[in-house]
Formats: sequence, structure tokens, C-alpha cells
Amino acid sequence: MTEDFRKTPPGSLDPIPFSIAAPFRTTLPNGLKIIVFEDKRFPLISYRLAFGFGDANDPDDAGGLTSALTSMLSEGTESYSSRQLAEQIERLGASVSASSSDDFTIVSASALSLYNADILRLISEIVFRPTFPEDELSLYRRNTVENLKFQRSQPNFLANEQTARLLYGQHPYAKVSPSAEEVEKLERQRLTDFHREKLIPNNATFIVVGDVDTSELVKEIEASFGDWQPGEVAAADFASLPERSARTLTIVDRPGSAQSNIVLANLAIERNHPDYFSLLVMNQVLGAGASSRIFMNLREEKGYTYGAYSRLDTRKRAGDFEATAEVRTTVTGESLKEFFYELNRIRDDTALEQELMDAKNFLTGVFPIRAETQEGLINLIVSQQLYGLPEDYLQTYRDKISAVTPKEVQRVAKQYIHPESLAMVIVGDAEEILPQAREYAAEVEIFDTDGKPRDVSDYGKADTGETADVSGKWSLKVDFQGQQLPVSLVLTQDGDTVSGKLETMLGDGEIADGKVRGSKLSAVARAEMQGQEVKFAITGTVEGDSMTGTLSAPIVPDALPFTGTREG
Amino acid sequence: MSENFKLTPLKIEEYTLANGLRVVLNQDNAVPVVAIAVYYNVGSRNEREDRTGFAHLFEHMMFQGSDNVKKAEHFQFIMKAGGTMNGTTSSERTNYFETLPASQLPLALWLESDRMRSLAVTQENLDNQREAVKEEKRLRYDNQPYGQIFDLINEMIYKNFANSHSTIGSMEHLDAASVEDIQEFFRIYYAPNNAVLVISGAVDIETAKGLVETYFGDIPSQPLPPELDVTEPREVASTYREWEDPLAPFPAFLMGWKIPKRRTPEFNALYLAGKLLYDGESSRLYQKLVKGEESVIQLFGFTDERRGPSSIFVGAIPKPDKDLSKIRETITAEIKDLAENGPTAGEMQKLHNQLINDTVRTRQSSIARAQNIAEYALYDGNPELINTDLDELLAVTPDQIKTTVDEYLNNENRALLDVKPGSSS
Repeated sequence: MTEDFRKTPPGSLDPIPFSIAAPFRTTLPNGLKIIVFEDKRFPLISYRLAFGFGDANDPDDAGGLTSALTSMLSEGTESYSSRQLAEQIERLGASVSASSSDDFTIVSASALSLYNADILRLISEIVFRPTFPEDELSLYRRNTVENLKFQRSQPNFLANEQTARLLYGQHPYAKVSPSAEEVEKLERQRLTDFHREKLIPNNATFIVVGDVDTSELVKEIEASFGDWQPGEVAAADFASLPERSARTLTIVDRPGSAQSNIVLANLAIERNHPDYFSLLVMNQVLGAGASSRIFMNLREEKGYTYGAYSRLDTRKRAGDFEATAEVRTTVTGESLKEFFYELNRIRDDTALEQELMDAKNFLTGVFPIRAETQEGLINLIVSQQLYGLPEDYLQTYRDKISAVTPKEVQRVAKQYIHPESLAMVIVGDAEEILPQAREYAAEVEIFDTDGKPRDVSDYGKADTGETADVSGKWSLKVDFQGQQLPVSLVLTQDGDTVSGKLETMLGDGEIADGKVRGSKLSAVARAEMQGQEVKFAITGTVEGDSMTGTLSAPIVPDALPFTGTREG
Repeated sequence: MSENFKLTPLKIEEYTLANGLRVVLNQDNAVPVVAIAVYYNVGSRNEREDRTGFAHLFEHMMFQGSDNVKKAEHFQFIMKAGGTMNGTTSSERTNYFETLPASQLPLALWLESDRMRSLAVTQENLDNQREAVKEEKRLRYDNQPYGQIFDLINEMIYKNFANSHSTIGSMEHLDAASVEDIQEFFRIYYAPNNAVLVISGAVDIETAKGLVETYFGDIPSQPLPPELDVTEPREVASTYREWEDPLAPFPAFLMGWKIPKRRTPEFNALYLAGKLLYDGESSRLYQKLVKGEESVIQLFGFTDERRGPSSIFVGAIPKPDKDLSKIRETITAEIKDLAENGPTAGEMQKLHNQLINDTVRTRQSSIARAQNIAEYALYDGNPELINTDLDELLAVTPDQIKTTVDEYLNNENRALLDVKPGSSS
């Protein structure tokens, strides 16, 4: 029995107003902008020295230069070695580091406030006096090349690489990382020149949030950074963005992948576009969160995936819309169907009043949570400043969200989601994906995990025939170093799924998740042999009552060929 | 300086409802936000040998509706009120937490109490969430290079089943689970007297107390769950295993040691020793293996903090042409140096500043405060430890680090997992 007060959600308590004070702003004569936000709640300070250039501004003949510059800033200076810098920073319990994104280069630091003077000294040391030692640069090159190889084992990296290439064409945003060749030819002289040319005060903002006295801090910054000589801010000239006319399918073949990583994407808007807030609200209704339509459909109703979302990637000069999920391989096609259903639905219906209200309440409600910590707050200020958003952006953010109308949501959905011409990128087992996804695209291309194109006609061959019947007991003779070892397979088949048993002299194994495609059988048997689990991979081609194929296991170096017949 | 550092204590108020629910309130009005954390004293350690994965499956079930909250409405209520939420499962506990505008405290308490008193354990929800868990396993474990190595090494470190099996559990066990099994699990472990509720943020204490009583006061308590034995012999279950990972692009290895439980002087000393070995760019192993001998692509280490025997790990993904055994010798030599000579004065200063910095930084966020307080309340029966635990860590001496490393981090009682890249074709 439920008491009445439990039946409906309770009303809220009196709302407590929340406002973010406008930070202090000033500019030094050399052009360095300073933004200070005093927050004395905790004895902490967060710092960002942010520059208005990023990886996208790499010279054409020096891909990866900005990223190398940021990594190398703390690898040796006129006064300290790489190790001494690391020790100095960490001995304060602090962090000081530099990183780059497509559009920006940021030196970040955080520390207990009593170490303020040390942190300012360390930031100026790495910004003004890096020496880019040859041995450290050479180590950077080697480590980066190894990391690039490692990244290629990550399905997300492979999906992002193809998506960026398809959407951005010749624009620098098309590159998600430099190539190994580019990294290998990065020279010290190039870094030194680039450092002098790019780290200039008139393209930088120094942002500080925390337990500081504003006027004293400004004096300290001026003392350390006032003599910094301005330079010339280079105008960037980027290639225009490609136009898409048809839906395409790009598969990155990762054989044996347990899942398909799906990305559906098209170009949308840059960060300071006037449609930003409408699109943000639209995306919240559609797929940004765990109560959005895409998640509710693909995860909660269908159970295809652990998570399915849509997102806006809005950068300085362009941006895109993406719908993504990692789904189990067998429901790749079904998942695409549901994605397209949702993408079309939000374009064609006006978002329900209630859904829109919920989305707006979420976006306005979580805003104070994001501002609760110094790191959260300083990141909001960094975005405002670097994307060239209005100075009152943080103060008016919630009002702008609240003002979005249902009509606006539908307009931006129609304008910025293009189901008929988007790029579909799927990372996973191409043999499994192709038959499920082919019908959704006019053009298909397949790559391997090294990014090399494959011949599409090599895939899906086994599919053309009828699914063979492999059920029954098979006696196999396995060729092991010239000996013929007897092995049995006892198989049952349901559609194209096969289960059963592998029997050997050394022990038996269970077969689960076997598959028949056309006349090809593929299955894995897990056997217990002398206390160890051994995994056998079985591939076979069935012709009537005979089968030929191979058996492979980690304990034998090469796959063992077999021939066999079905017992009557 | 760190010797004179005094942490401003958090305001903590603790009490217990008549039904046994432990409640901790931490008022902080700086930002109009409130965080609620509900910690149930159930984790994978409580699972039966033929029913693994239940604690984690439950984390999913808890979002599937209750008497007055429909399936998946929990997310929606929180999100449309402008909040964020999640739940996680470990060996030790299952936790549920949300952060909301402060005015939405009643909503959070209504939602948490409704599922504590009346979770909808139905066949449909069970089937649906079993599939979601399987998908999560594919995503996080099966489809990721090196995704299974931490589960594997736990089986090598621990002998006691309660400690050794994975949180994600066995999919066969989940398939075999009946609705009755799940209902029984809920009755035993999701009782108010088996949980801690923490509220942190901009709340009025009296209002909060009234709301807590209204929503949780009449949920019946249950007999306490069965006694749990997590004791372990000192030695690891197995010292070596080779594992073929079809998705791994490079060989790798992971070493693990069994160490005493959390918040013992030994655990604290080893936690600090670990930081000196692998934490940050000035750490000993980073300087030796990433910079000096430049042998590894990735180096990582961490402690797994438990109420029973715990563990500490060091792992590396070496560069392709490097000799794995040489890298392990370097690690062994560095550990040996720490055991013979102890940390330097500079290293102790680093540890102290890092501990203070991390502790203060964590206190900025209401949800981080709520979670830390909940752990101390649930594991130690004392939420006030949030104000004193730092002192215990700061009090660890160089000599304690030296002798404890010598005693525990030896090669004879170490689990070593060698990962070989498999062929995926």
C-alpha cells in the first residue's frame, strides 16, 4: 500500500538564486589579456595561459608541430632539465602542463594557493625559456610513433579518424592525429622558430581562478609577463569544407570485433554560431543524455547497446553533428534502422512541449554544478574567451537556453541533421556488418585498421549462397605434424547460429556462438585440457556431407588443416 | 609548510533512523547544489559462487522502476530537474548518487526511497537488463585491448572466491538467475539497515532531517545479511600466467601484490610507496622506464582499496622491441631501493603536498564530498574520518614506507600476468 504523498513526485523547495560574478579583466600593454576570478572558498588556485592557435594551424609541411611544441615545453628549459621540472612541480603537489587542441594551445596549472609565486615562476620558465633538447625531442618522436600504433587498436580512434576525413576533406579538422612520418621529421630548429613565432602575448589570455588578491596577482603577472614581446598573429587560410550529396558507408574492418562502433555524422555549426543554443536544446531532446530519445530507444527499449548518444562537436571554425553507439555486431542493421527513425522523427515532428521543457531544465540546472569547482569554472571562462563568446556569456547562459522555442528546435533539426546525405562510419567485423548495413548507403568503402583501402568485392562472398545445414555429428581427421588425429564435432543449428561440442582425445570443448554464412562455418570451442582452458577456432567449408577447414589454437603455431565427413 | 597545514573541518552530522538507515548530513552553502549518495553494503564480495555478477546486475535493475516510478523514469526525473546521476559497483559496495539544484532535495529523496522500498523486480526488467549488462561486458572488457587483464590478475592474487571473482561476473550465471533469486538478493542487501545515506551541499539541516524521516522512516528493516569471510592467506593464488589477447597490439604485463586492508598503517605506507613509484612524471618508474631506459609506451599503477586484503598493481606496455624481463628487473630494482633506503626527504615533501592538494581539491564538489563521507560511514562506521584521515596519511614515516615495502612488495609473492598479442584473423 502506498501513501498518497509517494504517488507523485514532490514539489521543490524554494529555489536558491545562483549567479556567477563577472570576473576582472584587463590587458597589458603588450596585448596579454588577463582575467581573474577571486574565489576564496578553498586555499587553491587554477591557471590557464591560453593561446589562440592550435593543431589546425600546423604548417602544411609540419603536421604535429603544435602538439610537439606543447609536449616539449616542459622537457627542458634554460634553468632546468625535464626531470628537474617534473620534480619541482610535483614537489609542490601541483600540476603544470601544456596541451593543444584543434584551435587552441593551453598551459594549465593548479596548486595550493601558498605556492602561487612558484607556479607563476614555473609557467614563465616553460613558456619563455624552453630549450627543446635533442635527446628529449628524439624520445618524444619515438614515443609518439609508438602511441600512434597503439591508438590504432582502439575502435573509437578508428571511427573518429574516418569520420573526420569524410566530413572535413582538405580542412585541417580532417586530421585527428599526425602521421608517423610527420612526427619522425619534426626538427628542433622548427620547434624553436615556431615557439618564437607563436607564443606571443597579443594572441594569449592569462586566466586565473581561486584564492588570490586580484590587484596583487595582476602586479605579479605584469612583473613576469609584462616584458614579453608581442609578435604578429598570422591569419589562417583554411580549405573550404566539402559538400555531401549522398549517404555513404565506410567500414573499418576489425575482424573478430565483438561490437560495431557506429558513427553517423554530418557538418553542423561552429561554436559561436547564433544557432548554438537552439541546437544544444535540440540535441538534448534527441540524444545527449540518458533520458534522450536515442538512448531510450536503442538501450532502454531495444537493449542493443550499453549507450547510444548524439553529440555536437562545435569548434572555432566549423563543427559537426554525430550520432554514435557501440552495438553488438548482430544488431548493426537494426540499430541503423532505429537511428534513422530518430533522426527523421526529430526533423519531422515538433518536439513535444514537455520534452523540450525537460531538456531546458536539464541544461539550466546542471550549469551551477559545472561551476562548483575551480576547474569547472575556469574551463567555462576559457571557452567564453577563446571562442569569442560575449563577455556576459556565463551570466546569460541560462536565459538563452530558456528562450529556445519548439519551432526553433524543429528548424535547427531540419537545417543541421541530414539523414539522406550523412556519413556512416562503422568499425567492426566487415563480413558481419556489410550485409546488414549495405542497404543504407549508395556508396560503400572498406578500410583496414591501418587506414588502407580494401577491395569491397572481397567481402560478403559467403553470403550469396544459401545457408548450409551443418547439424549432425562430424568425424574429422586433423593433420598434426603428419599424424592424423581424430576429432569429432557434434553440432546443432538454429538459423545461422551453431552450438555444440568439440570432442578430442585430450578433452572436450563447448561451442557457443558459432555461425554459418553460406557454406562457411566459423566457431570457437572452449576446451578444458589438463586444467587449462584452451580456445580452438574452427573454420570449415561444407559441401554436402563433407567438410574441409582448419583448427587453430594458441598452443600450436600454425592452423591445422582437417577433412571430415558427417556420420549418417 | 605542510607540517602546519590545517584542513578546515567539514560540518558533519550523523544519526540513525529507527529502521537502521545511517544518515550523514554535510551542510555547505557555497553553491546552491545538493548531492545525495546512497551506499548499499553489497558488492561482488557478497556474491555466491554460482551467482556472480548479481551486485552489478542490480545496479542496472535499480533504474528499472519501483511502485511510483516507472521504468527509466529515474533518469528522467533527475535530468529534467537539472541534475546528474549514476550508480557504480565494486567489490565493496554498490552506490547510487545524484547532484541537483539544492531546491530539488525532496525529489532525490523520493526517488531513492521509492526504489529502496519497492523496486520492481520483474521478469521483463531482468531480461532487458541482462542484455544491457552483456553489452557493457562486450564494450568494456571483450572489445577493448587489455580489457580483461584486471579481472584475470585478481583471480591470481586472491584465493578466497569472495575476493577473486570479477564484478561484471559470469554471463551464464546471469542467464541462470530467476526473478526469485533477484528478489531475494534485493530483500537481503537493499534493506535500510544495510545502507548509508549522505546529503551534502546547500541544505537546511532540519528540513533535510524531516524529509529523510518522511521518505525513509517507514521502510522496514531486514535481518542482517549473512556474515562474510574475506580472509586470505598471505600468499597469492598463482604467481604466473600467460594470456593471449586477440585485440592487443603489443605485449604487456601486469604485476600485482596482495597487501593489508585499507586504512591500516601498512596499506597507507604502500599507497604512498605506490605514488612514489608510478604516480606522475617525477615518479621513479616514469623517470626510469619512460625517460631513462625509454622502454615503455605506457606505465601505470594503482592500489585497489578494500575492507579486506587489498592489492597494488604495476603494469606496462613495453615498446615492441624491448625485453620484458629487463623492464621487470628495473621495477624490481626500484622497489628494492625503496625497501633498502626508503624515500628521500624530497619525496616525502612531494607526498605531503600532493596529499593536501588532492584532499582540498576533492572537497570543492558536493558529490565528491558525499561519496568520501559515505565510504567512511559505510566501511569504518565513522564519517568524521573525512576530517582526520589526511592526518593519518601525513603521519606515515619514511621508515614505515621502507619496512612495509620490504615486507610486502617482493617477487616471491607476486602475481605476474604476461599478455601476448593474439592473432585476430
